[in-house]
Amino acid sequence: MGSMNKLLNRPLKAFTLYALLVLACSIPVYYFIVDYIWRNELDEYNEIVRNRIESGLNKLSLDKEEWAQTIALWNKTQPGTKIEKSLFQESRSDSIYTIIRQKQSANDEDLERFRGLSSYIKVQGELYHLTIEINVEEAHETVFAIAAVTVLFFIILLAGFVILNRRIATQIWKPFHSTLDRLKSFDLNSQNNINLEKSDIQEFEQLNQALYQLIAKNISVFRQQKEFTENASHELQTPLAVLKSKIDLLMQNESLTESQSELIASLNIPLSRVSRINKNLLLLAKIENQQFSEGELVNMSELVNQNLDFLEEHLRARNNTVEMEICEHCYITANRSLVEIMLVNLLLNAIRHNYENGAIRIELTDKSLTISNTGTEPLISETLFKRFITSSTSTPSSGLGLAIVQEIAHRYDWKVDYHFINNFHQFSVLF
Amino acid sequence: MKILIIEDEKELAHNISAYLSDENYLCEFAETFQQALEKIEVYNYDCILLDLMLPGGDGLKILEELKKQDKQDGVIIISAKDSLKDKIAGLQIGADDYLAKPFHLSELAARIYSVIRRKQFGNSNIIKLHELQIDLLAKTILVHNEPVILTKKEFDLLLLFIGNKNRVISKSALAEHLSGDIADMLDNHDFVYAHIKNMKKKLVDAGYQNYLKTIYGTGYKWEA
Repeated sequence: MGSMNKLLNRPLKAFTLYALLVLACSIPVYYFIVDYIWRNELDEYNEIVRNRIESGLNKLSLDKEEWAQTIALWNKTQPGTKIEKSLFQESRSDSIYTIIRQKQSANDEDLERFRGLSSYIKVQGELYHLTIEINVEEAHETVFAIAAVTVLFFIILLAGFVILNRRIATQIWKPFHSTLDRLKSFDLNSQNNINLEKSDIQEFEQLNQALYQLIAKNISVFRQQKEFTENASHELQTPLAVLKSKIDLLMQNESLTESQSELIASLNIPLSRVSRINKNLLLLAKIENQQFSEGELVNMSELVNQNLDFLEEHLRARNNTVEMEICEHCYITANRSLVEIMLVNLLLNAIRHNYENGAIRIELTDKSLTISNTGTEPLISETLFKRFITSSTSTPSSGLGLAIVQEIAHRYDWKVDYHFINNFHQFSVLF
Repeated sequence: MKILIIEDEKELAHNISAYLSDENYLCEFAETFQQALEKIEVYNYDCILLDLMLPGGDGLKILEELKKQDKQDGVIIISAKDSLKDKIAGLQIGADDYLAKPFHLSELAARIYSVIRRKQFGNSNIIKLHELQIDLLAKTILVHNEPVILTKKEFDLLLLFIGNKNRVISKSALAEHLSGDIADMLDNHDFVYAHIKNMKKKLVDAGYQNYLKTIYGTGYKWEA
C-alpha cells in the first residue's frame, strides 16, 4: 500500500496547489493596486499642497525684495518643493511624473523613488514654476512586503488544510471504516448476515444498502449452491445403489466366461470411485452446511494409534516403514468423526503417494499433527488443497481428500501446511 | 424366512429380492409409507429393510410404529443419507443395523443373515456347517471340534461367506467389508487376497474341506 494515496490527500494536494497558484498571482495584482492607490493619493496630496502654497503665498503682501528673499528661504527650508520664476509668460497645464534619484538630505547612496507635480502658480501677477516631490515607497520593497505577507498566509492556509483534513478524515470516514472492518471480517461460509453501522452521510448509507443487497444475494446463491451439491449427491446415491446391485447380480450368472467375469468385476473400480467422489462431495457439503455437531474432547494419541492399526496392512503391502513420535494423552476439542476423517485422509494420502519401501513419519504434539512420506518431487502447493485438481500424476484419487482436510481445518481455525523437505512430503495441521 | 423391502426405488428392491431369493428368503415389497404401515400391521417379518426417505413419510416413523406395536421384526435401515444423526436415531429407536447406499448385495445379505440369527437364536448363537462350528457371540470357531484361531478380519470374511452361501462375492465387496468406508479410497484391493489365503489355509489345515472357490480371479464363492 506504500504508493497508494489516501482519498482525502488527493483533494488536499489539489487545493494546496490551487491556493499556491492564486496567492502567487495575487502578488503582482496587489502590488499594482497598492501602487496605483498610493500614487493617486500622493498626486492628490501634491495638488492640495500646491493649492495651499498658491493661496498662502498670495495672502502675503511683500515687496519685490522681500519676495525674492522669501522664495529663496522657501526653497531652502522646504526640501520637497521648489519655486522658480517661470521661463514662460503663459501658464501651462500641470504635469505629474515619477523620478528615481538620490535623496537630497541623506548621505547614503540609496536611490529613492519620488512622485512629483510640476505646476505653474500665479503669485501677485507673476508666473512661477512650482515642483512638489514626495517620496514613494520603492517597487521592490512593496513587492517584497506583499510577497512576505502572502507566504505567511499561504503557510497558515496550508496548516489549516492539513489539520482540517485530518479531522475530517477521522470523523467523516468513521462509518466507512466501520463498514470496511465488518466487510473484512465477513465470512460467506458462516451464513450470518452482516450488520453495518448506520450512517447519516448519504453516500455511505447508499454504499451500505448496496452492500446489504449484494451480500444477501451472495448468501442466497451460496446457500443454493451448497444445497444443490447436497441434493445432487443424495439423488446420485440411489442410482449408484441400483448399479452396484446389478453388477452383484450379474456376477451370479453361472454361464459367464472368464473375460465377461473380468469385465464385470472391473466395473466395480470406477463405480467405487464415483461412490467415493459422491460421498466426499456430500461430506464437504455437510461440513460447509455445519451439519456436524460442535465438539467433544478427542484423544488424539489414541485416535492416531487406532487408525494406524487399521491401515497397517496397507502399509505392509507396500513395505513402508513407519516412524512415530506421538505424545501421550494429547487432546483436542472437535467433532470426533471429522477429526478421524481428516486423519484418515492424511494417512491415506501418505500411503497412496508413497513408493514401495518408502517411509512414513507421524508426529503428534499437543499443538500439531505432522504426517510425512517419502516422495520424489515437490507438489504444486497452490492447487494442492483445491477440489478435483490432482497435484500428482502417479495415482488416481478422488481429488477431494485434501480439500476435505482443508475444509475441516478451516472449520476449527486450524492451519494446514505443506512442505517438501529432504525428499519428504510433509503435511502438518496446527491446532 | 420372510423379508419386507420398504424401498421406493423399484429396481433396487427387485435386485435385492433377486439376490436373496435363492436362499430360502421370501421377499415382499412396500413402496410408500402407507403401504409399509399396512404391511407391518398385518404381517410379521423376520427382517425388514427400511429406506428412510419414502414418499408419504419419514421411515423412522415406521420404526417407531413397529416398536409401539411391540413387534420383534429385525430392522436394517438402508439409507442414502449416511448421516450419523439418522444412524444414531435409527439405532436408538430400535433398528438392528444401518447400511448406507450404495452397498454391495453380499454385504446386505450378510447383515440380514446376522440379524435373523440374532433374533432367532439369541444367546446360543452357533452356526453348524458340516464339520465347522461358529459361535457368533464368542467369535470362536471349531473344526471337527478342534478350535481354530482366526484373526478378526479372517473371522469377518468367514461370516460374509456364510451369509452369502453359493453366491459369487466380488473382490471389491470383500474389500469394502474389511475396510469399510475407506476401501474405495484404496485403489488396490490385493490385500483381500492375503486374508483369504490365510483363512483358507487355517481351515484346511484343521481338516475342513475346501468349500471356498475362486471364480476367475474376480471373486469368491462359498459352496455348501
